[in-house]
Amino acid sequence: MAGPARESHRWKWLLVSPALIVLLLAASGPLMIVLVYSFLSPGNMGGVSWEPTTEAWFRVFWSRDIFEPELVTLNDSHLAIFQRTIWLSFQTTVICAALGFPTAWFIATRPARTRMVWLFLITIPFWTNLLIRTFAIQEMIRGNGTFNSALLWLGVIDEPLEMMFTDFAVLLGMAYVFLPLMVLPLYAAMEKLDFRLVEAGYDLYASRPQVLWHVILPLVKPGFIAGSILVFIPSIGAYVTPRVLGGGKTMMLGNLIALQFGQGRNWPLGAALAMVLLVIVVVALIFYLRVTGAEERARNDRA
Amino acid sequence: MTEQTRHEIEITGVSKVFGQGEVAFHALRNIHLTIRTGEFFTLLGPSGCGKTTLLRVIAGFEQPTTGSLNINGQNVVGLAPNVRTVNTVFQNYALFPHMSVAENIGFGLKMLGRPRAEVAATTDEMLRLVRMETMAHRKPAELSGGQQQRVALARALAPRPRVLLLDEPLSALDLKLRKDMQSELKRLQIETGITFVFVTHDQEEALTMSDRIAVMNAGEILQLGSPHEIYHAPSERFVADFIGETNFLTLKVTARDGSGATVGLPGGATAQARLAEGISPSPGETVPAVIRPEQVQLCPPGEGDMDGAVTGAVFFGTDTHVHLTLADGQPFTVRRQNMADQPEPAAGTSFGLRLTPGALQILRG
Repeated sequence: MAGPARESHRWKWLLVSPALIVLLLAASGPLMIVLVYSFLSPGNMGGVSWEPTTEAWFRVFWSRDIFEPELVTLNDSHLAIFQRTIWLSFQTTVICAALGFPTAWFIATRPARTRMVWLFLITIPFWTNLLIRTFAIQEMIRGNGTFNSALLWLGVIDEPLEMMFTDFAVLLGMAYVFLPLMVLPLYAAMEKLDFRLVEAGYDLYASRPQVLWHVILPLVKPGFIAGSILVFIPSIGAYVTPRVLGGGKTMMLGNLIALQFGQGRNWPLGAALAMVLLVIVVVALIFYLRVTGAEERARNDRA
Repeated sequence: MTEQTRHEIEITGVSKVFGQGEVAFHALRNIHLTIRTGEFFTLLGPSGCGKTTLLRVIAGFEQPTTGSLNINGQNVVGLAPNVRTVNTVFQNYALFPHMSVAENIGFGLKMLGRPRAEVAATTDEMLRLVRMETMAHRKPAELSGGQQQRVALARALAPRPRVLLLDEPLSALDLKLRKDMQSELKRLQIETGITFVFVTHDQEEALTMSDRIAVMNAGEILQLGSPHEIYHAPSERFVADFIGETNFLTLKVTARDGSGATVGLPGGATAQARLAEGISPSPGETVPAVIRPEQVQLCPPGEGDMDGAVTGAVFFGTDTHVHLTLADGQPFTVRRQNMADQPEPAAGTSFGLRLTPGALQILRG
């Protein structure tokens, strides 16, 4: 019988359909185009020419000798960029978690009235354009920037520290930009934390670090998982930060893709690299959820 | 000092103030209290009276503003909860939701760094003690309220604390379960010999389970004594009112003797009354006095200590509460044990009221 339940179900579909249509057109559509482009040949002035080939995918991982196309070697520069991208994103996630945990804890332990003020302060950086904030960091860390001037004046250093265009600069920029994305879900998890459990831990002879490790961390784990995903995914695809702070030396995958669509005039290679980026994100997500889920399952199995 | 009267906890001049200046809240005011080793001690009072704060001071979650606190002869002021040999059963149990029942129970011993085998053995022993052997691998969310209560008890008992603090542990349970857990708690206390400090606002719970009770109100201990003393010899109005039902009378002292006084009753007769601790009214003084409704018997008019006219009667099954007015207009209630062939007292009839000797108590002003 097609009861009222079925009816309301149909209505729900109608309600989500605008969002679904936008997603379909704005996400799946372009994705399909990128996928198709990755199997075409580069056009002369950019763009693509409609000759199917797997050359772009080949060039993602391998490079041909300019003079002897049959001489094939691993594309070391691409692989180095993949590796750096994953490694920097991982480090960014760890740094954000390490800095975000105490921040979120501080906010969650304030009286309810003042919590909103702190949360509000956390969101202030979002008010300013990312590019401008990134240039502001550049101003802070460049050769004769704020940090170096201050340290020189204080006599801590004799000559300016080389911070620009290093992995450190990129890490600093990304950790700064993505930190709120770690703090907010962590805060949400901590706000739900029952502080009597913390007291119960202390009461049962746990020291402060033990309470943190055995009681608080397991209970705010969902916040860590959400925050890590929110930080790691945009880090993998970061473009502005490595561009401004990393320059050409410490390129990340996002910059490499942009390069192919721009100066490189190799759209198929750019498209193939974009698909690689997508695969890295999906694989990382699956791996991450497997690991955190497996822990949970192992716990349940032991029980 | 013999083993029976050793002092487990000595609280001397403890006060606790939250906030400062205008908004300062005095949760505890100059508490002096000694809790004996192995006794079932109850802190009884209405919500906000400071009983939970006192428990939290003993546990170490709060530090006293002034005063000293000794546990087993050692001054523990300033010590953190994790170095005190006391464990707490929390009001809503506070079981670790991410751990199984067994992991919860073993947590304290694990944190004390005991060998794995010892933790496992004690956990099994505790599971047996609270009859939860079959639930060892469940998560707290899969347990009923009563089962969670048992786990919370087992978890707090597993490290063999010198003192177990219980913060209204039964208040979340329904009536039937609460009765079961009351006898269960008493059994555990006797079996383990651990000193129990029990916080409750339920006077019946306090009377049935405790060796001694401290009645608290507004941050002070009003009276300390056995359930029998607290019930039959309340020292002041608040205690008499908070515990059980009682008749309040205003009477005039006619004569004094060593430990008691003679008071004039409405209608002209006199009766012997006991004095609350620390008071010494002189003859002629008007004093507050109490007598429990079941300490008075109805008899034919003129044959008792005073007379009363019935204004109403409420039938409760085992007994009937007969409401009367005394000769001078003061209201009075008598609890009469019911017999099958006894008629209900009709409004307007007069009865004589015979007081049980020694049941009349003069309160602190």
